[in-house]
Amino acid sequence: MPSASFKDELLAEIKNLRAFAISLSGSVSLADDLVQEALLRAWSKSERFQPGTSLRAWLFTILRNIYYSNYRKRAREVQDSDGVYARRLTVPGDQESHLDLEDFRKAMTKLPAEQREVLTLIGASGLSYEEAAAICGVEIGTIKSRLSRARSRLVELLGLDETADAPVEARIRRAG
Amino acid sequence: MTVARTSKTKAPNVAAPDPKAVEAIGQALKAHYTDLVHAPLPERFVELLARFEVADRVPEPKGSRDAIG
Repeated sequence: MPSASFKDELLAEIKNLRAFAISLSGSVSLADDLVQEALLRAWSKSERFQPGTSLRAWLFTILRNIYYSNYRKRAREVQDSDGVYARRLTVPGDQESHLDLEDFRKAMTKLPAEQREVLTLIGASGLSYEEAAAICGVEIGTIKSRLSRARSRLVELLGLDETADAPVEARIRRAG
Repeated sequence: MTVARTSKTKAPNVAAPDPKAVEAIGQALKAHYTDLVHAPLPERFVELLARFEVADRVPEPKGSRDAIG
């Protein structure tokens, strides 16, 4: 049976796990089901966790596996109705960003899940390329190319590439 | 079945977007994620964890009253 300290560590990771789940699935309600399932699985398989390694990375791996095996199809159906998922979760204006976050979130939902997850893992949740590669079960090179494709696509979706008549600075400022 | 493609042609300009654009995206991504991380946690998770039983209870110094059956 897992220890009390494992439980505390698990509790401390839930917010991050949920943030990852929302980013990955594009839906708060799906994300919460996913997190619940991942927590149950983590608890029942806790002996497989190697102390000293990253609990966050381990939990992300579990959640991701559940997502791709059971939730991916549902996510596609839900996303449209639940598209601007994060609006009700957030307090506007307390974060530093020059882009409109609503626009950004919409653009994120248009990326393939593989790109969205890499963006989230590397760009937001503070994991290393190595950890991201392990979580996704691919080579580091694949992570890097997905990341660069994701960025290019976002630049395109957000209209940040139309440098000819509107410099990037202007577009960013206008959006913010 | 791609969703909402922008006006650009398909040719993926994977090479290198403007560094300023990439930076703006990086900032937005962090802000977006920070928002999510700071969102209040639904009660169901706290309740769920409360139901998880743990093994190594700290042993009480003397004869504990709430003996585990």
